[in-house]
Amino acid sequence: MGRTVGIDLGTTNSLVAYLDPQTNQPKCIPGPYGSTLCPSVVSLDPDGSIVVGEAARKRLLTQPDRTIYSVKRLMGRGPADVQSELKLFPFRIDPANKNVIRVMLGDKIFTPPEISAFILRELRQWAEAHFGESVDRAVITVPAYFNDAQRQATKDAGKIAGIEVLRLVNEPTAAALAYGLHEKQRGRVAVYDLGGGTFDISVLKLISTAEGDIYQVLSTNGDTHLGGDDIDNRLLAHLQQDILDLRRFDITWQPELMQELRKAFIAVKHELSEGNEAILRLPLPKGADYTTTFTRAAFEGWIRPIIDRTMGPVKQALADAQLKPAEIEEVVLVGGTTRTPLVRRMVEEFFGRKPHTELNPDEVVALGAAVQANILERGVSNMLLLDVTPLSLGIETYGGAVAKIIPRNSTIPASAQELYTTGVDNQTGIDIHVLQGERELAKDCRSLARFTLKVPPAPAGLTRIEVKFLIDANGILQVAAKDMRTGEQHSIEVQPSYGINDSEIERMLEESIEYAEQDFAERQVIEARTEAESILVATAKALANPQSAGLAADERATIDAGVAALRQSVAGSDYKLIRKRIDDLNHATEHLAEVLMNSAVQSALEGRKLAEV
Amino acid sequence: MTAPTTSTNPPLVCWSCHERFLGTHFCSSCGKLQQIPQSLDYFSIFGLPKKLWIEMDGLEKKFLQLSWKLHPDNFVNASETERELSLKQSSELNDAYRVLRDPIARVEYLLGIENMRKEGEHKQQAPPELLEEVFELNESLDELREAKSSGGDLAVLKARLEIAETNFQTKLSEVDAQLQGTAREWDAAIDASADDSARKKIMARLNEHLNRRAYIRNLVTNVQKELS
Repeated sequence: MGRTVGIDLGTTNSLVAYLDPQTNQPKCIPGPYGSTLCPSVVSLDPDGSIVVGEAARKRLLTQPDRTIYSVKRLMGRGPADVQSELKLFPFRIDPANKNVIRVMLGDKIFTPPEISAFILRELRQWAEAHFGESVDRAVITVPAYFNDAQRQATKDAGKIAGIEVLRLVNEPTAAALAYGLHEKQRGRVAVYDLGGGTFDISVLKLISTAEGDIYQVLSTNGDTHLGGDDIDNRLLAHLQQDILDLRRFDITWQPELMQELRKAFIAVKHELSEGNEAILRLPLPKGADYTTTFTRAAFEGWIRPIIDRTMGPVKQALADAQLKPAEIEEVVLVGGTTRTPLVRRMVEEFFGRKPHTELNPDEVVALGAAVQANILERGVSNMLLLDVTPLSLGIETYGGAVAKIIPRNSTIPASAQELYTTGVDNQTGIDIHVLQGERELAKDCRSLARFTLKVPPAPAGLTRIEVKFLIDANGILQVAAKDMRTGEQHSIEVQPSYGINDSEIERMLEESIEYAEQDFAERQVIEARTEAESILVATAKALANPQSAGLAADERATIDAGVAALRQSVAGSDYKLIRKRIDDLNHATEHLAEVLMNSAVQSALEGRKLAEV
Repeated sequence: MTAPTTSTNPPLVCWSCHERFLGTHFCSSCGKLQQIPQSLDYFSIFGLPKKLWIEMDGLEKKFLQLSWKLHPDNFVNASETERELSLKQSSELNDAYRVLRDPIARVEYLLGIENMRKEGEHKQQAPPELLEEVFELNESLDELREAKSSGGDLAVLKARLEIAETNFQTKLSEVDAQLQGTAREWDAAIDASADDSARKKIMARLNEHLNRRAYIRNLVTNVQKELS
């Protein structure tokens, strides 16, 4: 069995982390560019291959119609849910499909879980390259306020990527876990998590018991469509208008310029986290640049209404936990958007205490996921997470009303039984409509599933079916029915309303393998060969240098032997052997490299002296 | 006094090692998680008598202890049978804790398992002694709604409703006090091993309190909605 990792599948960036057994502390794994952040951007190359992360992010400018970002906003949602998003995000939705969202990259069509799966695969590769071992299981984080369909979609993404998802963990809970391990915190903690696309607030109680530490979530609330992106969109709309007014130039339908503007604005936003003023400059075609200055005060005036929207959920979460702001002992800030000084100020004012920001707000969720991954991998632990379901589960009753059967903030797993009976003679089915949400009418709640229980024909009232609704530790609904008369049990396939079924997932998994997947060993061979080639080229070049003419004969012989051995290993497919020969050759050429380096430095210095004369 | 009655249930046999075992959740021989017998109610999960006064710190402590043992996190690498049992038992534990922690839900649950929970036949009908006040309240609510839609003066109507709200809040506390008193009677009846008919009488009264409480609470919620 391979390794288990923790993955933060974010709106803007995604990360992968593991628990370092030496230090017992979680650590994020950097990717090929050295950063631990993998931009959640996917691009379909014209040659048919998939590009993910930083490389894909660059293509937002050059190939916007083949590239997608912020796909998390579409997870688990139907076309009708996302109309307002479409005005702000350049998603290209396949118009042919009315029930399920499918996005177009170039001329190919993908579901949001498929796109997310590409990101998961990329992160897995980072981890595998880091460990030199395969990775096949993961804990993936989701916003605490994600509903059943959004969770199911995230789990599907894992399946499509060929990763066994051990658990979906709520992002603020993961952050609390990372902080708990780091700071040894106890007592009542509020986690304020404002990311790129989602906002969560969770109130936890950290309890020490004889068996170990328990992280008990008391309540959670949030908004799955509120985040840094909203700040960006609001300001971008303003800038667009300003450019139109001042420069008479409409950039709305110019994706390259829009992306350019977005990039410039994000730089300004980051600058204003430190300084009090920043200048935004956008080069426009035909000369005239657009330039504008932002003061922090003006910027805060623009974003305050957005930050204000987080306070409603914060108050509700506290009310649900039956706590007052002053009773919260620690406040933790999570998510890149909490770097904004205004956010920090408002949170500090509300709780009357300075929030914790010791851990990198971009990394803290992934770090917590790694802690939980380690707990689950080992099966025994001195830490236990007790999380809650963010939304009430209900069933539709007469007249379109909703009867709540599992209230929000119930500790999960949680369950409820309902007894159903037939109303007319020889009735053959009972319709059940399951909903999630706090509103009183079914039409205002999120429809999770509709299904018909088949019952044998009998006089009215004779058949009694007990239906058990169970929310598992991932926050995902399972339904089972039992005929009370016959004792017969059925598990019910709950078809999520956004509708990807298991056979489709299976097909997507196969397809995605065609796109990207080479197995681990194969990838290692390719990487080792590439490295070997570059070393062979560098060695040949070094040997051609006149300076190497003076090499001792035995040194030259060792290098030649090393080159021959490496060439021979490259022909085969034993990547470990290739790696060893690379090391051998590197060792053999150490002295040569030094000689060349010295002479290069010398000639550079001499050159400068000559120039100075 | 009679000798303690012995259980007539058949001895429990572990699904894994087929030994007999005692206790509720785990096999005393091999330590494997067990199927909870259908008859185990929320009180029994916590090893509590069916009494309505529960010491909350003790309940929480027991909840956390059982959580350590039953939570699905402990069974990720276990067999499918154990994973399913863990899911079932930890969800039942959480359900039980949720209900027993809440004094009102606790009474409702007790009446439910004793088949004594009967919601008022006409849920929307006011208890006779409240008729007059409810009538007045509804009138004020209508006036407020009307004033809202026609843009009339709200201040006086709101002030009147606020007084009504306080009045019904007081009634709610009164019902809660009555409920508490009857709950104490119930606990005393259990301690005294009172007979069935005595218990049923107490439960019928608990049921009445619950219905009255639900009715008043609903009124208060409606007023609050209009006032906010």
